[in-house]
Amino acid sequence: MRQAARLAVEQVNVRGGVRGRRLRLRVADDSGSEDAAVRAAQALYDDPGVAAVIGHLSSGTSIAAAQVYGGGAHPLVMLSPSASSPELSGINPYVFSICPTDASYGEALARFAWRALGARRAGLIFLSNDYGRGVRDAFAADFVRLGGTVVEQDPYVPTTASLEPYLARMQRAGIDVLVLAAERPGAELALREMQALGLRWPVVGGDALTGIEAAGALAEGLHVTSAYLPDQPGARNVPFVADYARAYPGELPDHRGAGAYDAVLLLAQAMAASGPDRQAIRDYLAQVGRGRPPFHGVTGTIAFDTAGADPTKSVIIGVVRKGRLVTEATQ
Amino acid sequence: MMRLDTVRLRILGGLALLGATVVSIALFSAYALRTVRRSEEAQLETVRRSGTVGNGIAASVFQEIAAGQQYLVTPTASERGQFQDAADESFAFAQELERLPGLTLEQRLSVNRIRELQGSIEVGYAMAHALRDLGRDAEASARAAAVLNPATELTRLVRTLTAALAQAAHRTEQGIAAEMARWEAYLYLGLVLAVVATALAGYGTLQAVEGPLGRIVVAAERFGEADLRPVTTGRMPREIQILADAMQQMGGRLRGIVADVISESERIAASAGDLSAISEQLAASASEVTTAMVETSRGAQGQRVELDAIGAGLAQLRQTTAEMAEGAERVALLGEEIRTVASRHRSSVASASSVLLDVREVVQTTSHQVSQLAQQTAAIDDFVDLIRRISSQTNLLALNAAIEAARAGEHGRGFAVVAEEVRQLADDAARAAADVTVTTNAIREQVEDVTATMAAGTAKVRGIEDVAGGAARGLGEIATAVEQVEQAAARVAKTAQQNRDLTERLQERAQGVASQAVAHASSAEQVSAAAQEQGASTEEMAATTGRLLQAAEKLRSLVRGFRV
Repeated sequence: MRQAARLAVEQVNVRGGVRGRRLRLRVADDSGSEDAAVRAAQALYDDPGVAAVIGHLSSGTSIAAAQVYGGGAHPLVMLSPSASSPELSGINPYVFSICPTDASYGEALARFAWRALGARRAGLIFLSNDYGRGVRDAFAADFVRLGGTVVEQDPYVPTTASLEPYLARMQRAGIDVLVLAAERPGAELALREMQALGLRWPVVGGDALTGIEAAGALAEGLHVTSAYLPDQPGARNVPFVADYARAYPGELPDHRGAGAYDAVLLLAQAMAASGPDRQAIRDYLAQVGRGRPPFHGVTGTIAFDTAGADPTKSVIIGVVRKGRLVTEATQ
Repeated sequence: MMRLDTVRLRILGGLALLGATVVSIALFSAYALRTVRRSEEAQLETVRRSGTVGNGIAASVFQEIAAGQQYLVTPTASERGQFQDAADESFAFAQELERLPGLTLEQRLSVNRIRELQGSIEVGYAMAHALRDLGRDAEASARAAAVLNPATELTRLVRTLTAALAQAAHRTEQGIAAEMARWEAYLYLGLVLAVVATALAGYGTLQAVEGPLGRIVVAAERFGEADLRPVTTGRMPREIQILADAMQQMGGRLRGIVADVISESERIAASAGDLSAISEQLAASASEVTTAMVETSRGAQGQRVELDAIGAGLAQLRQTTAEMAEGAERVALLGEEIRTVASRHRSSVASASSVLLDVREVVQTTSHQVSQLAQQTAAIDDFVDLIRRISSQTNLLALNAAIEAARAGEHGRGFAVVAEEVRQLADDAARAAADVTVTTNAIREQVEDVTATMAAGTAKVRGIEDVAGGAARGLGEIATAVEQVEQAAARVAKTAQQNRDLTERLQERAQGVASQAVAHASSAEQVSAAAQEQGASTEEMAATTGRLLQAAEKLRSLVRGFRV
């Protein structure tokens, strides 16, 4: 995400910047912690040089930080490339999201498990936060609607040391797909313990798992939903992937990076049109897709609804093949 | 500082001050109330929501624990469902807690911790349930026991947070109450200020109006008592100053007017006396004018008569002139005739001249014969002379005889008759001699006449020739003269015409003058009438002047009452 944003900023500045001024990228780390997210948000909010925020990466931190950005006398736009919680949309007028919501991810997972995997009994492990619960609820609702059964819905928190009891109980109950409404550490824990238990269920997960392909054999064959995959075709995506690979040899952008890249370019366009004022940027973004033409980025077309969400974004299913996340042929 | 020198400004200023104070107080009150209301609403909402959420989270966590424990005892699907519902409810409360407005950073971190704990409780029981389902009860009990610490901490944190929020709300309320008390004090202060300012403005305005008005009333009363001496009024508001100025001006004008009236009444009295005298003189003059005008009228009538006579004379003159013109015309006609006759006679004269030459021959012959006759008559004369001397002697003798006879008396009678007879014979003889003398003289005269006639005839014939020549010349001259006469007659006619025109004009003018004279006469009569009327008016004027005198006297006595 940071790398893609930096690439986008460099490209904008090479072309002359915005209104003759160079864009500057200020990077803050919330470490996935809501505490850190609130602190970082406050720091960014208090810096008058900050025109807009791209982030945060996850839904929980985004929701926590959104409260900071949207309050006070000089509210600041938060444009998240990857926070998918439906709780985020409409939380306040300064929050925009360019990725699909958890509902879309959950629905896509349920459809994929039912159709492509032929699963009928699903076991589900979810991170007990906004994201995990969001994916859980969306998946369960759609899977049951399709005719399947959610055998288990088991929570975990980042401090949870082992998921073995859940897996063991699922093994006993009998499932034909494991849904990980989790983040990478929890998912890797589950996969490791699955391996230890000798379990071979097909495993599907949400977009939060993106990057897990680097975990090697553990993740091989894992299906994840995503708003973006680098092997997607597209007039804008192909040069983006090439540029990214040139800038960061041997690496490919993920959906967060692609989202951040689009976010930078969209904000540059907003500032070119309306200036670097926080409120002007917010008003410009609110009109994208409603009064102004939609933005065509590497992740596809971006258009906001009244809640700052992007309902046009579709979800694709990727699969880890030989350490790479590629588009699954059978969607 | 602006001077409040008009009543209007004072009143407006006072009202504006009062209004501004009232509006400020109202705005201030409204602002205070609104601030308090909003602040209280927000605080109440925070307190209410934090209370609800805090209680909710604590209750749902307890319920979650109860259901979790219950499942460990009786692992049924319904117990598990209850646990999951409680967990979801608890999560929802935690979510809501996160969204409470107005949290400090510390409180947010506390909320994060609560959520963390809430998650670990949920996961703890879920894990215990899984272990229980797998028949690993000891592990399950241990997991369940491990939940107690987080539960205690969570309860404590929730209570702390709720208490902190309540306290914050309380502090805010206290702050609001203190602020309210301060605002109340401000309000009372403002009210007192408004009252004082209004009272001061009212008092000042009254002072500014009453004093000057009193002075003006005094001045007006003095005017009423006919004391018009100048009044001093001092400093006062502009409106009243205008009034006072007006009073001063009025006093000044009245003073001037009264002084004028006094002097004028004196003058009027004097003038009325003069006027009386003048009116008497005027009456006398009017009667003189009447007399004069009557005379004028008479004179105008006489003038008219004379002018009428002139008119008649002029008419006569015109007639005469007309006659003269007619005469001139006749002269012209006669001249024409004369010219015709003269030319005819001139030819006659020419033929007569040739006849005369023959006549001259005859006359010369006859003349010679007559001269011879004259010599023969001389002998007769001598005889006659002798007879006349005898007769004269006889007559003388007869006369002597008659004288003697008369002396003889009766005896001489007979002789007297003879003497008479002799005298008569002498007379007869004398008479016969005289007759012969006469006859002789007549013959002689005739001879002489014939001689003379002859001579004269000759001469006459000569003369006639001359005359004929002269006549011819004369006739020529006559023609010339006739022409001149005609010219003269024409001039006379022309002049007569001019005279007639002139006369006519003169006559017209005379008529005009006459009618003017008539008009003069009537004007004079009118003037005379007017003069008579004037006389009457003058008498009236005299009466009026008398009354005027009385009025002037009265006026003088009246204005004597003013003090100027």
